[in-house]
Amino acid sequence: MRQSLCFPTVVLLVTGALLPSRLLSQQRQAIESFSEARIAIAMGKYAEATAYLERLPKTDSTWMDAQVELVRAFALISKYDDAERVARQAVAAPNGKEALTALGELMRTRGRLAAADSAFARAVAEHASDSLMASLNLALLAKARGDKAVAARGLDHFIDVYNSAAGSLTSREMMAVAIACRELGETNAELFKDALKAFDRAITLDPANIDARVALGELFLEKYNGAEAQRTLDEVLQINASHPGALVAAARRLVFDGQPGADSLLATALAVSPEFVPARLMMARGSMDLERYADAARDAERALKANPSDAGALATLAAARFVGGNERAYADARGRALALNAHDAGFFVTLAEAAGRVRRYAIAADFARQAIAADSANWKAHSVLGMNLLRLGKIADGRQSLEIAFKGDPFDVWVKNTLDLLDTFKNYDESTSEHAVFMIEKQESALLTIYLKDLAEKAYAKFQQRYQYAAPPPVRIEVYRSHADFSVRTVGLSGLGALGVSFGTTLAFDSPAAKDAGPFNWASTVWHELAHTFTLGSTDHRIPRWLSEGLSVWEEHQARAGWGASVSPGFLEAYRAGKLVPISRMNDGFMRPTYPEQIGYSYYQGSLVCDLIVKDWGEKAITGLLAEYRAGRTTDEAFQKVTGMDMKAFDRRFDAYMKERFGPVLEALALPGPEYPAGMGAAQFLARADSFPASYRAQVMAATPLVRARMHDEAVRVLERAHALFPAFGGDDSPASNLAVLYRAKGDTAKEIAMLKVLTLSDESNYAANMHLASLLIVRGDTAGALEASERALFINPFAPELHVVLARLYEARGDQAMRVREREALVALDPVDKSEALYELAVAYRAAGDLVKAKRAVLRALEDAPNFERAQDLLLAIVDGRKP
Amino acid sequence: MSDRGAGRRLLSSVFAALVAAACFTASAKAQTHVLIASGLGGEPRFSQRFRALGADLASALQRKYRIAAPNIAWFGEDSTFADSHYRGRSTRDALEKEIAAMRARAKAGEQIVVIFIGHGAGQEGESRVSLPGPDVTVGDVQRWMAGFTEQRVAVVNLTSGSGDFLPILATPGRVVITATKTAFERNESRFAEFFVKAYTADVADVDKDGRVSLLEAFRYAARETKRVYDDATKLQTEHAQLDDNGTRQNTAEPTGRDGQGLLARRFFFEAPGVPGASIAAGGDQGIAALYHERFALEGRVDSLRALKPKLTPAVYDAELEIVLVSLARKSREIRKAEGRP
Repeated sequence: MRQSLCFPTVVLLVTGALLPSRLLSQQRQAIESFSEARIAIAMGKYAEATAYLERLPKTDSTWMDAQVELVRAFALISKYDDAERVARQAVAAPNGKEALTALGELMRTRGRLAAADSAFARAVAEHASDSLMASLNLALLAKARGDKAVAARGLDHFIDVYNSAAGSLTSREMMAVAIACRELGETNAELFKDALKAFDRAITLDPANIDARVALGELFLEKYNGAEAQRTLDEVLQINASHPGALVAAARRLVFDGQPGADSLLATALAVSPEFVPARLMMARGSMDLERYADAARDAERALKANPSDAGALATLAAARFVGGNERAYADARGRALALNAHDAGFFVTLAEAAGRVRRYAIAADFARQAIAADSANWKAHSVLGMNLLRLGKIADGRQSLEIAFKGDPFDVWVKNTLDLLDTFKNYDESTSEHAVFMIEKQESALLTIYLKDLAEKAYAKFQQRYQYAAPPPVRIEVYRSHADFSVRTVGLSGLGALGVSFGTTLAFDSPAAKDAGPFNWASTVWHELAHTFTLGSTDHRIPRWLSEGLSVWEEHQARAGWGASVSPGFLEAYRAGKLVPISRMNDGFMRPTYPEQIGYSYYQGSLVCDLIVKDWGEKAITGLLAEYRAGRTTDEAFQKVTGMDMKAFDRRFDAYMKERFGPVLEALALPGPEYPAGMGAAQFLARADSFPASYRAQVMAATPLVRARMHDEAVRVLERAHALFPAFGGDDSPASNLAVLYRAKGDTAKEIAMLKVLTLSDESNYAANMHLASLLIVRGDTAGALEASERALFINPFAPELHVVLARLYEARGDQAMRVREREALVALDPVDKSEALYELAVAYRAAGDLVKAKRAVLRALEDAPNFERAQDLLLAIVDGRKP
Repeated sequence: MSDRGAGRRLLSSVFAALVAAACFTASAKAQTHVLIASGLGGEPRFSQRFRALGADLASALQRKYRIAAPNIAWFGEDSTFADSHYRGRSTRDALEKEIAAMRARAKAGEQIVVIFIGHGAGQEGESRVSLPGPDVTVGDVQRWMAGFTEQRVAVVNLTSGSGDFLPILATPGRVVITATKTAFERNESRFAEFFVKAYTADVADVDKDGRVSLLEAFRYAARETKRVYDDATKLQTEHAQLDDNGTRQNTAEPTGRDGQGLLARRFFFEAPGVPGASIAAGGDQGIAALYHERFALEGRVDSLRALKPKLTPAVYDAELEIVLVSLARKSREIRKAEGRP
């Protein structure tokens, strides 16, 4: 168990009993000593501390120590000129060697690496008291310029230092040991544990060593331990809520754990330290995730202004330029980065990760290979290569890379999870269709392939025709019975909220048996993901995320009535409240949602954009846009060219389209209706509903009290009015769903059927409504309608034997022998207890369809387990005797 | 399924009897003696469920499987219950007395079936069934069954946490079924209701011989139990097992083709020991001859299936077709001779 000191204890330990309580008080107190100033810096009271330290006379015995603190404090808050002024004065003063390391660190922060090297070397040569830290910095500089041998020698030295003098090291020296061990851990993972131990020791030696605490938090994060990282960083931020390094590390931790709030932490960090490079780079990476490449480049360039030699900033700038399609600027940034270190594997890893995040997986793999060529011991590069190869469907190669990565970095939880998942692939069957290969868990592959092959081929044909693009076959479709496995396949961790993912020509999705998120329409999910295959492929993976999602939902709508996201009161209320993001910033709706429903609304909103484009500019405008993206145009450029509008104008057009399309419903939703004081009775609700017949709210507010009061006729009246005001809404607790129940209670089957049709055509996952609708339609002799409802149910739950029996009989009644066979095959694939019966029925269906070979084979299988099954015996004899059905 | 009638059941039972003849010497009047003990519910819903399962099973045994009413003894949680098979509270003493009575009346070659329904508790040698008063332990059951040396015996423990009964009771020639794999699978069990359903509804006769063997009932119940958990996306907390050869191997999925399940596959509630084709044929020597030929063909199907792993699929299918076509024609001849459609 690691120790943990809370800061009041820390302060007591460091400074004695009186000072800390004074400093910790809410009222601002004057700092009266160097010790107090040091504590104040540790607590984030930078202005007070630096003001005091600046005033300290040279005659003070703590002056030199104060200057060193001052340099570091100014650097921490981006006051680099002040820091340099102080550092140079101190170095020039008597005993100035004590300030050389601080000067060197500042020079490094400002990107003046030669000056930094020189300062560190002097500190070592002149035996400054912190020469050990200077030695470490020299090794780190050597590593940064690619001088691996010098770096390794320098870092190795710290093992000897620890082993020979651990008991006499100061906190900062122990931190130097820890950092050295962390660096050496890249080639010997066991040393990460020593780094952890040394950081702990450094903190014990000086609980006010905030830098050690932040570095420890970063180490946990680097080793994929979000929980410990959070605990450590929380402790730091409780002490100093303004520590830029802690704030950025905490922001990274939030992103690591998929939690919101990173933006505000970064904003705080930059408010404290506007030029803090790690914060700028994280901002840049966030902008890249939102596909705002110009913004990303701006942040990277600002970071480079503070530190022109920062390898991370150069890599980030190069990445922003590359994924933004600015090849010349990319080449420039790349040249600058490689001039600093020609073997900088991290540069290529950054490029690979950036390319992967914007779905350009083949390019990501290429960059990862370049990283490995630069440094074969860069485990992250192997990991990134492996992950991207898996996304490209190259399973064996991907696994090989991940094995290498895991050997080098056994802490990588993504790699471990993925390797564990790959171990389970032996439990899957692979089968193929003309354009696809399917990987499905053995216990359900026989059933799902019956439907998936047909669905995938239909989708392929449709999208090939629509997008004039043939995705390179085979498209790899993986189906996961465990949602956790799907999640690991997608992001390396469990807990992903999505149901399907498309990496281009590799898709993965939840099996309909994986019901963690409740029932869902697996067929529309497949259709959606396959649409991505074509929109990604036809644009060379340059289509923005929001448009690819919008098109996929739009394709769902085109494919079958009822598929895909549909309009809801919540969506329209969000629109009315201005909570939908404008189209010009639509990626925000997916990547930076500001309320829980926003991602879902953004999918539907994206589909509405596609509706609008097709309505105003025709379907060719869709392919026109994709062609522009393929040519490397930005969204502004592409929309301008295809629609003749800039994005601001398009935003206005979309707003107008919303009003055109949903005008009456928006009006009905906007009408507030009356006030509803507490304690009202059903009659009063009814009176208000009758008084405000155009108010959707007034009607739905009245429905529940009326039902509770058993005033069913009145409840029907208000619900019918509500349904008429918003007829497309058929989700949970919609007027249509409540009306269906009430009509059933009244025995009005015709109206119940009408409402069930609304439900099933507006909620793609309503299995119960489809099954009930089918049963009602069967009784009415509506075979076609019953088939439609049953087929919809099949796309939600294909594992119910009774559903297949119904479908088989309906197809038989309609004389569709091929579909009857499909359903009988499905029943056999379900591996029922009474398999002989299922095989016999399948044989009968084959025979009716004219396939006597398969009929005989099936009946033989039926009789194999039940040799005296008389109906099967008769069928066998009929087949071998050549009798007609 | 609904077209299967009593007449066909008699005919089909002939085959099973002949197959079983190698193991048991049987008389034409052999009986099956059944003891059903439904235990304490603890909650009204459980009490009601256990009572219903006991009642349904006892009723089906007489109605569908023609077991004589005196040979069906059902004990339950209550002192009285309006059911002709009900014998009172399922105390250990009451059960022990009934076992003694069964031992006294059961003849050699007859069948003894003991079925427990309810909650289980304890582990290993302490495993028990929760009953009014002292529980029945696995040791009690072991002792009771030891007295049936000349009968075919099946112990079916459908209680939760019943798994540890199996390793203790398992012995060659005795069918032991438990609803769970271990004593630690103590959650509410669904296996019992499907096991009873296998006998009360026409759902489990997968080999289409018109009867439900213990193996068929076991496999049906195990499959349906799994389905309940799969459909609800829940981890399965009960795994039934069956042993009938004393090996305690492959108890989760006995096939009855080889090793585990062979005896259970031939264990029916219907009275065993119908002596042969001549009786099945009602004394008609011509029909009896046809039955003999059919039995021979059925034997060939079994032999062929045993050879399946060694044959290519094409050869196997060709051979299978020949035998099955012959068998189908023979069955038709029998039906014609018997005046059936």
